[in-house]
Amino acid sequence: MANIKVDGILIEVPDHYTLMQAAEAAGAEIPRFCYHERLSVAGNCRMCLVEVKGGPPKPQASCAMSVRDLRPGPNGEAPEMFTNTPMVKKAREGVMEFLLINHPLDCPICDQGGECDLQDQAMAYGVDKNRFAENKRAVEDKYLGPLVKTSMNRCIHCTRCVRFTTEVAGISEMGLIGRGEDAEITSYLEKALTSELQGNVIDLCPVGALTSKPYAFHARPWELSKTETIDVMDAVGSSIRVDSRGREVMRILPRINEAINEEWISDKTRFVWDGLKSQRLDRPYVRRNGKLQAATWEEAFAAVATRMKKAGNKVGAIAGDLAAVEEMFALKGLLAAVGSGMTDVRPAMSGIDPSMPRAAYLFNPTIAGIEEADAILIIGSNPRREASVLNARIRKTWRAKGLPIAVIGEAADLTYDYTYLGEGLETLADLAAGNGAFAQTLKNAQRPIVIVGEGAVSHAALGKQVGRDVIALAARLASGGNVAEGWNGFALLHNAASRVGGLDIGFVPHDGGVCSADQIALAGKGELDVLFLLGADEYDMSAMGKAFVVYIGTHGDAGAHRADVILPAATYTEKSATYVNTEGRVQVTTRAVFPPGDAKEDWAIIRALSGIIGQPLAYNSLTQLRAALYAQYPHLARIDEIAPANAADLGRLAQAAVKTTSAPLRSSVTDFYLTNPIARASAIMGECAAMAAGLQQAAE
Amino acid sequence: MRASQFFNTLLLKEFVSAFGLAMRYFFSPKPTVNYPFEKGPVSPRFRGEHVLRRYPNGEERCIACKLCEAICPAQAITIEAGPRQNDGTRRTVRYDIDMVKCIYCGFCQEACPVDAIVEGPNFEFATETREELYFSKEKLLSNGDRWEREIAANLAADAPYR
Amino acid sequence: MDALLAALDYLLGIPVLGWGTHIGFVYKALLLLVSLLVFTAFILLADRKIWAAVQIRRGPNVVGPFGLLQSFADLIKFALKEPLIPAGADKVLFLMAPLITATLALAGWAVVPVDNGWAMANINVGILYLLGISSLGVYGVIIGGWASNSKYPFFGSLRAAAQMVSYEVSIGLVIITVLLCVGSLNLNDIVVAQRDMGLATTLGVPWLTFLNWFWLPLFPMFVVFYISALAETNRPPFDLAEGESELVAGFMTEYSATPYMLFMLGEYISILLMCGMTTILFLGGWTSPIDLPPFTWIPGFIWFFAKLSLVFFMFAMAKAIVPRYRYDQLMRIGWKVFLPLSLVMVVIVAFVLQLTGWGWHGGVA
Repeated sequence: MANIKVDGILIEVPDHYTLMQAAEAAGAEIPRFCYHERLSVAGNCRMCLVEVKGGPPKPQASCAMSVRDLRPGPNGEAPEMFTNTPMVKKAREGVMEFLLINHPLDCPICDQGGECDLQDQAMAYGVDKNRFAENKRAVEDKYLGPLVKTSMNRCIHCTRCVRFTTEVAGISEMGLIGRGEDAEITSYLEKALTSELQGNVIDLCPVGALTSKPYAFHARPWELSKTETIDVMDAVGSSIRVDSRGREVMRILPRINEAINEEWISDKTRFVWDGLKSQRLDRPYVRRNGKLQAATWEEAFAAVATRMKKAGNKVGAIAGDLAAVEEMFALKGLLAAVGSGMTDVRPAMSGIDPSMPRAAYLFNPTIAGIEEADAILIIGSNPRREASVLNARIRKTWRAKGLPIAVIGEAADLTYDYTYLGEGLETLADLAAGNGAFAQTLKNAQRPIVIVGEGAVSHAALGKQVGRDVIALAARLASGGNVAEGWNGFALLHNAASRVGGLDIGFVPHDGGVCSADQIALAGKGELDVLFLLGADEYDMSAMGKAFVVYIGTHGDAGAHRADVILPAATYTEKSATYVNTEGRVQVTTRAVFPPGDAKEDWAIIRALSGIIGQPLAYNSLTQLRAALYAQYPHLARIDEIAPANAADLGRLAQAAVKTTSAPLRSSVTDFYLTNPIARASAIMGECAAMAAGLQQAAE
Repeated sequence: MRASQFFNTLLLKEFVSAFGLAMRYFFSPKPTVNYPFEKGPVSPRFRGEHVLRRYPNGEERCIACKLCEAICPAQAITIEAGPRQNDGTRRTVRYDIDMVKCIYCGFCQEACPVDAIVEGPNFEFATETREELYFSKEKLLSNGDRWEREIAANLAADAPYR
Repeated sequence: MDALLAALDYLLGIPVLGWGTHIGFVYKALLLLVSLLVFTAFILLADRKIWAAVQIRRGPNVVGPFGLLQSFADLIKFALKEPLIPAGADKVLFLMAPLITATLALAGWAVVPVDNGWAMANINVGILYLLGISSLGVYGVIIGGWASNSKYPFFGSLRAAAQMVSYEVSIGLVIITVLLCVGSLNLNDIVVAQRDMGLATTLGVPWLTFLNWFWLPLFPMFVVFYISALAETNRPPFDLAEGESELVAGFMTEYSATPYMLFMLGEYISILLMCGMTTILFLGGWTSPIDLPPFTWIPGFIWFFAKLSLVFFMFAMAKAIVPRYRYDQLMRIGWKVFLPLSLVMVVIVAFVLQLTGWGWHGGVA
């Protein structure tokens, strides 16, 4: 620890603190442009200059000088720094004047206007005059792809974007070339950025040089209502802020949540908002004479009720990727009321058996726990596509510690170095048997993490046993060797926000029910009369035979096309709903806008339907529903907390017999941009997907 | 009651003196402006009907910065913006002023960085229906075309004081 | 049959065409009615113009030259607009009230001599008839206020009723003083009395007729009558019945279109009637102010209307220069000032007449 006086206040801070951190600890505000907590220190904007006593007698960049760089006084007095002296003021004004020399005065047409660091700091620390009478320099705008719009005249060369893409996103596609007046930020080859985290440079850019292309010119920050909620595009559940105007979502921004997404979000999370407005189901539809026709709620409910009454208990329900806990709970209750246990939230032929303990389907080490890991094995997953933010966390750990990482499955660019072990189950079995150098690494590791992708445990073609075997083998690898006390390294990485919540409340076959694939098979054989699809679009719609399909969802996707009755529901920005992320963290969304047209919240639809078929569910409001839910599953009441799984269960999983020998272990996410109905409805995501596909073709 | 007061009251003295005063005014010249046929002078700073101006080359000035919308105390202005189809520049898709809400404070023209929205010298825009007072972008631009000469002169006249 | 023919003759006779012996009563009535309405139209305009002039405004000046046709434009507007009847109103009474007001105001004019003997009905008790008719006028106001079934009109009508009743007392006493001097209830006689006797005659300059008129000897009564007439007709400064700052428009609040116009018409015609009464009682009716040519060349009815207009001018000026009274002040003046004053005057005038032997004594010396 070191002592330092900040503006006359003596404080004690850790040695490695920079002057800026020390000033913050003392409550002094220091303006900055290039410095960012999660990026390396560049020290090139010079905005954070402070005066120091015990160091060089000139203004010092507080972001780049650490506390221990300062000498104590002759009698051992603590070194001093000042953030409010005339020298500091003059230095800031000078820096600001230089920055503004070449910064265009186009705030009125700049999308950053109103939330611009340069604007704010020019007001706070700048002067109102300009002595520069020459022409401002002009820089050509660069092409960075369909998501990031550039206006390079505005760039102040803080290099935050360069550092982010290089350090966090792991793509070396941006850089600063030239010197002095000729300095330019560039992507070198004028190609679209290939990172799925590139949207974050928009937030990082302290000026309006990098802005959101889809959002361009559409709204101003002061006219947006900000709603803090969570994302459901993947199973990570990033913290986001939804900015809306009227009934429209205008953009989505990240919120800082150290436990999940730090302050990054993936491009899918950020740019999916246009999918919330297109292809929406805004009124009920009923299939008449083979054609879906618009109907009223009464007609739609009547059509469902008629079939439900005939069907008895031959009713099934499959929940899709975006289903929230409340509506699954309600749907499970509805099916229970008619005596059916045919509910499923898992993908077809999942190896996660309802009988397995909770530890089998959670990302047990937690996302923040990745930073404590000392070895990582990734099985049948591409975390970059399945959970980009989580992948950034792996890269962060890899950069910090250089920990050994190995992959079984597809070899892909994960933005960090890894040992590629092989493609399939046989490699995994081999590793579990202790063969190979990485087996030794895992064995020695005290905090190993075995990430099992959803694709590795769901094999529609090969059956459930493959997935069960993968889980068993992964559990063996995670629990073997000298694992530290209390560490559970088994990490199942889900792809969909609904999975863990559904598994937690038992939205799986029970009381004689069958799994999703079998439900569809039964429907095809005519042994299942009514099939509820709760936003489920990822299943084989052609195999459902003559079953009466009720689609409760938001977008005109595969499920809606097959449906006999469509009941329009609300998306995650339009309802308050509980989701459990892949680590088992319970989170709740907040309503930012209202559902379009006649659409209603999902749970309310199911509740209303239950009344019409004469089996009313015992709750009339979301509060009552949640009370019932929490009474049954108390851990769901603890919002933003993880109810950890029992680590001892891992041993039980590990003991299961392995019956299969060979299967390919591939990620189930083939196209990052088009994983769910909202993303498929989004034009921006479509463009990105097309571009990504084109890039792949070009590479092949 | 004193006698003088009694007679003053009886003979309506105050009424008579007021009558005299009234007769003076009765025959004094009338300052009334015979409005529809003659009009009073209008200051260059007069805040009348809104217009959206164009540059001399015909390009609309408004850049959709939304400052007028933000400052409008009556929230009479509604703007929707976006990149223009042909050149991608920032333009309004919709620029509506609800003239019924407007309080003619002139904040919008003060806020405008490009002198696009200006309250012109015209105050004779009464309409027969309320709907006609919901000015659209087209209406405002055509107002601008009609009043450009006067507005340019007014702005030039007021320029030294700004 | 003869009676029927006589009645027809009386009503519709045209001696010029050899039919009947009288000029038909109907024609005379029509003539009076039409000229009265036209006169009212211009008086209305004059009222607005005078008021405007005092306030250094122009007043209505768009319809016709100098705005002369303004009242006719208003007439058309009122006639074409939709009469609104409040849902809770008594429909029959609501529509009857303005009719009563207008009809009674017009009925008063039946006994007014606009020239020597030119009265529709030159009855002996003309002045009593006038008093009766103008007292009945209060019914229109009360009925209108009550039938509106609305609070402000009801307040307004109550105020108006109390006010009109109060001031009729002093008006009646003022008239008594005049009657004492004249000795006849016939309006024609009252005018003739002013022509034939008075100050000028006594001084030996009978051609200075205007000194003969009663305004001079009965000056306090003239003032009381003038003020009471303002109050009786709900003119400012006594327009408390329709005090717009308190009662919106008083008993007329719920009225619109033609019924409203009838109220206004009735009001202005009764104003004219009061002006005419002032003229007859105090300003010598149709007589010319100086009984010499060229004044005598001007026909009497022109003098009558000229004097009437002068009185109306005073009415209009009072509206322009005097602020509105408070209601208690209004009542105080009526009951505590005018009533004792006029009572005293009745006594004094009677004494003086009795002691000096002055008076016209119904034309009999």
